[in-house]
Amino acid sequence: METVLATSLDEALDALTADPGATVLAGGTDLMVSVAYGDLRPSSVVSVRRIPDLHRLDDSFVGAAVTWAELERGPWPAFAEAARTAGSPQIRAVGTLGGNLGTASPAGDGLPFLAAIDAEVVLVSRAGTRSLPWHEFITGPKSTALGAGEIILGASIPPISGKQAFAKVGARSAMAISIASACLLRDDAGSTRIALGSVGPKPMRARRAEEMISAEHSPSSAAIDEFARLVTEEVTPIDDHRSTAAYRRHAAGVISRRLLERCLP
Amino acid sequence: MSDFTTIGFNERKVDGDSLVTGKPVFAGDLDLDHVLHLALLASPHAHAKIVSIDTSRAEALEGVELVLDHRNTPPTRYTTAGQGYPEPSPYDARMFDTTVRFVGDRVAVVAADTLEIAREACGLIDVEWELLPPVLSIDDSIAEGATIVHPEEDASGIFDAARNIAGAVEAVVGNVEAGFADSDIVVETTCETQYAQHVPLEPHIAQSWMDEHGRLVIYTSTQVPFHARRIVSRVLDIPVHRVRVIKPRLGGGFGVKQEILQEDVLGLVTLRTGRPARWEYSRKEEFVSSRTRHPMRVRVKVGATSDGMITALEMDAISNSGGYGTHGLTVLSNAGSKTLPMYNKAEHIKFSGKAVYTTMPVGGAYRGYGATQGCFPLETAIDEVAVRLGVDPLELRRRNHIRTGETSPLFEELGEGRKGVEMTISSCELGKCLDSGAELFGWEAKRSRPKDEGRVRRGIGLSIHMQGSGIPEVDMGAASIKMNDDGSINLHVGATDLGTGSDTILAQMAAEVLGLPLGKVIVLSSDTDLTPFDVGAYASSTTYVSGTAVVRAATDVKQQVLEVAAAMLGSPADGLMLGDERVTSPDGQSVTLAEINLRSLYGADQKQIAATASFVPSESPPPFMASFVEVEVDIVTGKVTLLDYVAAVDCGQAINPAMAEGQVEGALANGIGYALMEEMVFDGSGRVRNADMARYKLPGTLDLAPIKVILVESHDPTGPMGAKSVGEIGINGPIPSIANAIYDAIGIRLTETPFSPEKVWRAMRDAGIE
Repeated sequence: METVLATSLDEALDALTADPGATVLAGGTDLMVSVAYGDLRPSSVVSVRRIPDLHRLDDSFVGAAVTWAELERGPWPAFAEAARTAGSPQIRAVGTLGGNLGTASPAGDGLPFLAAIDAEVVLVSRAGTRSLPWHEFITGPKSTALGAGEIILGASIPPISGKQAFAKVGARSAMAISIASACLLRDDAGSTRIALGSVGPKPMRARRAEEMISAEHSPSSAAIDEFARLVTEEVTPIDDHRSTAAYRRHAAGVISRRLLERCLP
Repeated sequence: MSDFTTIGFNERKVDGDSLVTGKPVFAGDLDLDHVLHLALLASPHAHAKIVSIDTSRAEALEGVELVLDHRNTPPTRYTTAGQGYPEPSPYDARMFDTTVRFVGDRVAVVAADTLEIAREACGLIDVEWELLPPVLSIDDSIAEGATIVHPEEDASGIFDAARNIAGAVEAVVGNVEAGFADSDIVVETTCETQYAQHVPLEPHIAQSWMDEHGRLVIYTSTQVPFHARRIVSRVLDIPVHRVRVIKPRLGGGFGVKQEILQEDVLGLVTLRTGRPARWEYSRKEEFVSSRTRHPMRVRVKVGATSDGMITALEMDAISNSGGYGTHGLTVLSNAGSKTLPMYNKAEHIKFSGKAVYTTMPVGGAYRGYGATQGCFPLETAIDEVAVRLGVDPLELRRRNHIRTGETSPLFEELGEGRKGVEMTISSCELGKCLDSGAELFGWEAKRSRPKDEGRVRRGIGLSIHMQGSGIPEVDMGAASIKMNDDGSINLHVGATDLGTGSDTILAQMAAEVLGLPLGKVIVLSSDTDLTPFDVGAYASSTTYVSGTAVVRAATDVKQQVLEVAAAMLGSPADGLMLGDERVTSPDGQSVTLAEINLRSLYGADQKQIAATASFVPSESPPPFMASFVEVEVDIVTGKVTLLDYVAAVDCGQAINPAMAEGQVEGALANGIGYALMEEMVFDGSGRVRNADMARYKLPGTLDLAPIKVILVESHDPTGPMGAKSVGEIGINGPIPSIANAIYDAIGIRLTETPFSPEKVWRAMRDAGIE
């Protein structure tokens, strides 16, 4: 397995174009597990960690090679909370947002935040740069719209106001893939967004719940109940070795309610 | 007791420096030239017959040296259990059989120049299967007309193959029916425990080669080197004297390395090819193809008088032994024998049980060895008795627990798969454990506070426990000591340090007897050519059994030292004092150990000062423990969080208190994992769905409560320096203590482990708590 250590976007794009079977490697925390389990045997690997463009981190953009450890100290509280729940300190030191997007697991820890803020995923190739809304980039469980010869540059982050929070339910207190996760944003006018992970084939927004609670400026406990109920109705979880669909649905409602309560004045 | 110089001190581990500096001390660290790598073709089916097997494509692959399957290997029936001979486990296994009995069972093994080639060759083996009906649960196994897992005629030692019963046991004292009739209250409960794996940091690994004399050497990560030698000799039909088994450092075992899973195949590959061979299980193979904890369904019935005296106890256990009966009968027996004797005021006791075959992963020895499964219903039933009588569960146990100088008729009635051994408890500080544990935990204060009524509800629970110190009249440990010209000693023990620190505590015992600093004790464990026999590290035997052998050998050596010194000092031996590496006479003259040995080796009356001693225990003094836990239960999510854990343990004299505490802390963490999250999950065809450490959840530090271990002051007159063994007992505490605490918090008695959030949530929903 040949490895290209690219130090510029040009080099990486050349390598990807030269070998259609090439795979991008950033932190390797997902990729190397797939290789170790024999699920993936790329003909070559293009390491993008040394490309300066992918390390951009400011108020409006997170580069694909930005690590969980960096996001833990980043400007967005809910994103930082999500980053703190990803893997172990060793994994957070090398695992990247680009990897989380590229893997597109329904349980990806960074994805509910990106879904809640309506982030756009920026892709670059020899043909140029394009931006896709998160829900067009992630097309299904572990599948994306990433084209041949394309690299994830990062995610553009729109301005966010108000409060934000993230929560995750897992089988143990750390190093757990989520059974359910959620990110909630609520601005001063009450406009609320809730995105959930691990309760459907890809990260999702609970739009009916959002609409209902956004209309409530100071929600009563009955309104909060209704919000949580709507979330449990909208999610589409499955049974697997981690949990049953029934518990996932229940957990989605519980964490949505708890996040909302945290974001109320 | 206080005049010890080494015993009772937290000496550093004798192998600590080499371990932490990464020296090549493990079985896998050995780099052999031209080594063959072995790969396993494991059964994809829970139950199937091999109609035909074609290995020609595998054998034709460049780099493949040998392929083994049922056609070219000995058909001898044996048990993989590394137990005392003759083993109480049935001879129901073959190296390679024509029937597979669980997903992961051996089908074939390839030996090749590289691991990659060996694995590739496994994929080239064509097997034609005749699928047989799987037997996936205890209920499947005991059902009328159930498929028979072991119909073969050459198996032996199976209790009732036609009814899938690998082993069965019954022990009766008094008349339980009459006992229950006379009781004021009777409580009955049935609990189920799940499949779990030991998950040693180091999976099974062994290497083999022919030495310069044409003898087979097996270098293996095992808890039982001498059993390994005997079983390899039997299965391969070669004399014991042609086999040498060496045990280097181990990266953990917890019982799973009390099984002979690789040594037989490695031995055969090396004998057939003349080449060294190496076999290392992947983590997945460790989960799927090695051994597990026997899941059990255990029913307990407890009768008590209104003044809180336990009068009758009945326990009936069904154990899922999986595809083979290894450790089935003995683990089953210990569910009763290592729990019921604690309540020795009961005059009527009945224990019965059976270990049944299924076509699921094979149970084996696992820390706690049945006591873990048995104490769950027993200690929750005792708790329920206390609740119904309105008595503090702490007080109920104070009234009923066994005490020093007392016995239980069950000791004689129930041993490991046979009658036991009558014994009087030579030390029991359970009372002190309850008192000191309750005080540190704040039992009274926590018990008297008002119940929580909000979303998060706290609860407290306790349970009491016993284990054993070796298997009486079965286990044997031996030690050899020789003294060198600088006064140092070589201590050779068959006892098997598997990371527990037994080399260190055995060295401390020898050092104590001989007045040596620990640095002057050179320990070797274990090598069947060099060290005397020991059954190995299991059944909490090492400190007590092997330790006594060390003390005996050291005492013999001490006598020889005094005799030489007597000649040198011109003073009778019986008046001499040994200490600080010298022998001193009553008039103040002294000679050093170095001088004594220089004389003995080079001077007058030359001889090697040395001794070998053995010990077979006539009893098995139990360590005891009182376990206290505080939990909070989130009634919305069902999540159980541990807030506080206190374990007060009576292990006799602690030889090395820090290491004894470490054993208890590790066992508690192990037990907390089993209580709250660890579980092998299967699909509908018996395949493990979470055979890796990402999906099989071990607890992390954040999942554990602050754990506080108290070693209560104790001295067992039969133990070496007053010691008892303490490696297992801790694991038994978490399940019943946490179950009782959950009951205290939310009023629901959980009867199935693990107590996952979902299970607790469902139980609350069923009970109408939202």
